[in-house]
Amino acid sequence: MLRDEDVRKALEKPAKYGADLDLSSYGFGEAEEFEEIDEDVSRRGMEVGVDLDRRKYLSTFLHVDYSTIYKSVQRQFKDDLELMTIDEALKKYDWVHGLLWKLRDPCEDKYTAFTALNAKGGYFMRILEGRKILIPIQACFLLFTQGIIQPVHNLIVAEPGSEAHILTGCTIHPRVTRGLHLGVTEIYVRRGAKLTYTMVHKWGPEFDVRSRTGILVADGGVFVSNYVMLGELRTFQSQPSARLVGSSSRTSMNNVVYLRGRSEMDLGGEVLLEGAGSRAEIILNSVAGDNAKITTRGRILGLADNVKGHLSCRGLMLSDGAEISTIPILESRKMNSELSHEAAIGKIAEDQLNYLIARGLSRDEAESLIVRGFLDVGRMGLPRPIEEGVRRTIELALKGF
Amino acid sequence: MLKLENLHVSIDGRLVLRGVDLEIGDGEVHVLFGPNGSGKTSLAMSILGYPGYKVISGRIIFDGVDITDKPMEERVRMGIGAVFQNPPKIYGIRLKDLIKIISKSRLNSAEISGLMDRLNIDSSLLNRYLNVGFSGGEIKRSEIAQVLAMKPKLMILDEPDSGVDLDNLQLIGRELAENFKDRSGLIITHHGYILNYVKPVKAHVMINGVIVCDGEPEKILNRIRESGYRWCRRCYEMKMSERL
Repeated sequence: MLRDEDVRKALEKPAKYGADLDLSSYGFGEAEEFEEIDEDVSRRGMEVGVDLDRRKYLSTFLHVDYSTIYKSVQRQFKDDLELMTIDEALKKYDWVHGLLWKLRDPCEDKYTAFTALNAKGGYFMRILEGRKILIPIQACFLLFTQGIIQPVHNLIVAEPGSEAHILTGCTIHPRVTRGLHLGVTEIYVRRGAKLTYTMVHKWGPEFDVRSRTGILVADGGVFVSNYVMLGELRTFQSQPSARLVGSSSRTSMNNVVYLRGRSEMDLGGEVLLEGAGSRAEIILNSVAGDNAKITTRGRILGLADNVKGHLSCRGLMLSDGAEISTIPILESRKMNSELSHEAAIGKIAEDQLNYLIARGLSRDEAESLIVRGFLDVGRMGLPRPIEEGVRRTIELALKGF
Repeated sequence: MLKLENLHVSIDGRLVLRGVDLEIGDGEVHVLFGPNGSGKTSLAMSILGYPGYKVISGRIIFDGVDITDKPMEERVRMGIGAVFQNPPKIYGIRLKDLIKIISKSRLNSAEISGLMDRLNIDSSLLNRYLNVGFSGGEIKRSEIAQVLAMKPKLMILDEPDSGVDLDNLQLIGRELAENFKDRSGLIITHHGYILNYVKPVKAHVMINGVIVCDGEPEKILNRIRESGYRWCRRCYEMKMSERL
């Protein structure tokens, strides 16, 4: 299946977007022994929205460096969800193999190639047909060892008519400064299923991230992705790509990022509207402070009849040292498709500030309210405890604002 | 409550108010008429202290204090509240969030929901981002709700009745009438529909940045309805020649 030779060749291939990383500058394969979830780790977990408190309930799939530590989340959802590591799933089901590397190409670039050849862990989640899981399924990837590459490959299958909310938090131990997280995630939303996939990331100023996400949505399926990244990192690049092959399928991708320091982020979202009457909305809201550089890319392709797509890229500049670029692309191959985009970048608008001041807010209060508005997660439809957690994280990141 | 003395104001070097005198007593409501572009909105913005409206000469006295050089922030704190005709869209901030911030310590939650009910502002409107996709009528109701939540001493209403259907006009009119029982106001109106509900004690007509006449609201409105502002322009010519 995987043409090993081609994949090996792709190890030298830089990605289309984002800074080119030298994979040999990171360690790989050796990890320090992870002892226990201490206060530091559990606080980090909270910051990315996942509860790692073992005493209360063990409801998180926790992956540290190269090993899966907890997966007892399975017990909690026993009749509705099948959850295991990807390696276990490959052993258990023949068909799992056929779903891997179908939604992303292992030869896409050096990061997919490295993951294809070396992935160590990742989750397999199968939401069983017709089951509706109300409690969010939590997964957490933690990097504990300084300076290593963490390549994981995840597979999610939402079977027909099922419904679930997956929350993935990715973070590093506070003492880790350098490292690279490579995450490949392939998501299948079957007929009439609804999947909400929320990711909250928190890294460090010297940390790199490359994630590759592919999504396939069948007839009447709904895929909602929410992405929140706050704080600092070295470089980040990702462009989730969704194919809406089913008729009347829908997707909505909401991204909220606030970067500081010298962070460089290239964040995109791509939707191929291949099913008749399919619809997509991509929202990329970014706030750049200090010397942060953010590029947002949105792309919607209308390939079938009566499709609709809307793309919104909005950037808020908080400093002269910051940079935001936005690249919206719409492509239509059908007369009856309706695609639109709006894009705006700037500092906080004076007329908005003055309006709020006229209503009795001080200038500082007005500024802080507008920045918080940019980072609004209210439209993501998160379950209340998660939304509150994310809001707390945003408040923490905005401290002093 | 408010006194304007020979107020001259410019925007970007262009003179928009050319010697306005106006006095509104405590608890009084006045109405200001005038054709498009005559400077009515500039007058409202100048009283509020909106940035960009530069006082060239003259004074603004509010509540016994000279506020001519005071920033908008302070004037608002002193009790001036104004509705905007074209408020900006602000993504990410919901109407309910702003109402909550504005009314903190002034209104309790029962009072807020009462006010929203009376102005026909339902939870779907409250949950929308400020002015994003609001209809003309929704903007008016949202603006008036916000200003009422501020409980200002002086309310400046710039065209509260334009673009509002009859049902909503009645809601707005009744609510304003109730709120004007214990505060002062300046209402700018083109059509005068709001005067079916709110009864000002005095009317003024503005032409080319100057107030050309003062008088009984009903009388002046009828005269304008009959013959438009042509009649007022004559007064303007007279007034200007007096000044020379």
